[in-house]
Amino acid sequence: MIAVHQLHKTLGQQEVLRGIDLQVVPGETCVIMGRSGCGKSVLLKHFIGLLQPTSGQVLIDGEDIAGLPERKLGAVRKKVGMLFQSGALFDSMTVEENIAFPLYEVGLRDAKVVEERVHEALDMVDLLGAEKKMPESLSGGMRKRVGLARTIVARPACILYDEPTTGLDPITSDSINHLIRRLQRRLRVTSVVVTHDMHTAFHTADRVAFLHEGSIYFIGTVDELRASPDSVVQDFIQGRSGESD
Amino acid sequence: MLTSLGRAVLSFIRYLGELALLAADTATSIVVAPFRWRLLFRQLAEIGFRSQTVVIVTGMFTGAVLTAQTYFQFSKLGMATAVGSVVSVSLFRELGPTLTGLMVAGRAGASIAAEIGTMKVTEQIDALRAIGVHPTDYLVVPRVLALLISMPLLVAESVALGVFASYLVGTELLGINGPYFMHNLKAYTSGRDIKMALTKGFVFAVIIAVVSCHQGLHTKDGAVGVGRAPTEAIVISSLSILIVNFFLTFALNMIFPAG
Repeated sequence: MIAVHQLHKTLGQQEVLRGIDLQVVPGETCVIMGRSGCGKSVLLKHFIGLLQPTSGQVLIDGEDIAGLPERKLGAVRKKVGMLFQSGALFDSMTVEENIAFPLYEVGLRDAKVVEERVHEALDMVDLLGAEKKMPESLSGGMRKRVGLARTIVARPACILYDEPTTGLDPITSDSINHLIRRLQRRLRVTSVVVTHDMHTAFHTADRVAFLHEGSIYFIGTVDELRASPDSVVQDFIQGRSGESD
Repeated sequence: MLTSLGRAVLSFIRYLGELALLAADTATSIVVAPFRWRLLFRQLAEIGFRSQTVVIVTGMFTGAVLTAQTYFQFSKLGMATAVGSVVSVSLFRELGPTLTGLMVAGRAGASIAAEIGTMKVTEQIDALRAIGVHPTDYLVVPRVLALLISMPLLVAESVALGVFASYLVGTELLGINGPYFMHNLKAYTSGRDIKMALTKGFVFAVIIAVVSCHQGLHTKDGAVGVGRAPTEAIVISSLSILIVNFFLTFALNMIFPAG
């Protein structure tokens, strides 16, 4: 469903992505890992057209969206939803209004149906009762849950997660990991998760793509990743910087 | 030296190009995208209604001070009754639209840049795009239209109250004969002056709207950038208003010559 071929991206003077080839199989959870600043989020934003590649192809259901003007990306964005690192909730709206927003944008006008869908989405992320709260009164974990509810309410075929557990405590992170897995089972969506959190990767991934120096350095299952003899991969898994005190 | 000058010129041309593209995208959006009435009314209240206090105070005190200064000079020549016409024409043709433009740039322009800038650095604009909503349709168009509608009205309000303050100060404080004051004011103020004021208000609205939205949409560097965006929006809008006003005065004087 989602594939990129020979994807190159240069930001300023820096070549961030150097010829990425990746295909995400429908229904799987593909985790993209790598060190901070290696271009994971940049790659993810190409999947929904938030960034345009310097060269290469981005295929969504076989349609190349590279170079498409912003106004023609609307149809693609109905298929793919994205959870942002900060949640990116609209701070002038309540939780309920945030979640209902994508429904009104696709033309749903029946208030009762919208209310039911919002209720259902909040139930999936275990946040019933928070409807009237403003984003500023929510914790980091709750913001991500509301962001996730807003992403799934329009029932996309694919969900992109940008660092879903960054900045959260271990218990909340674990709860988000379970939520990703649970949603994947319940909604049967394709998921792409960008993270540098090993726990998230091992808990949610069907396949792991390890990004290193702008290229896919390793791709395989979690077991294959763990068993990899490569020192770059093992250093990352074990969290070894190579520095000494 | 030449290299840095060349860079500055290129950067300026690039900036003008970005403003032109945003203006063109906004015009396209007004034509092709679904209209968002609720957002427009919210912006009319925020930009138009809530700018009134600052615009009224500016207009009234400018009219009052101008009346006093003109009277102090004209009374020496025995032309005190001409004060009303001089103040009126000055307010309609120059001070009303220009000062209103500067005030609205400071209040509404800064608010637009800060609000959109905050949305930019907190990924809310990317979230809008990810949902399939074009930021120009949702954020720029309602603000531009609200400014285009509000500014001529704010200019009219400012000028009208400026003339009213001038009348009060002239007749009650400085002792100018009221009927003469009004007679001269009406004799020298024509529909062309009103058209000039409203046209300038409209042009300044375009400048404030496009510059402020552009600053907001191009905000980067987190909180520092959000702090910088409104300041730059005010500075660029204000300078543009003052510079454009000079050329606009000559152009409009050919279309609406003074009576």
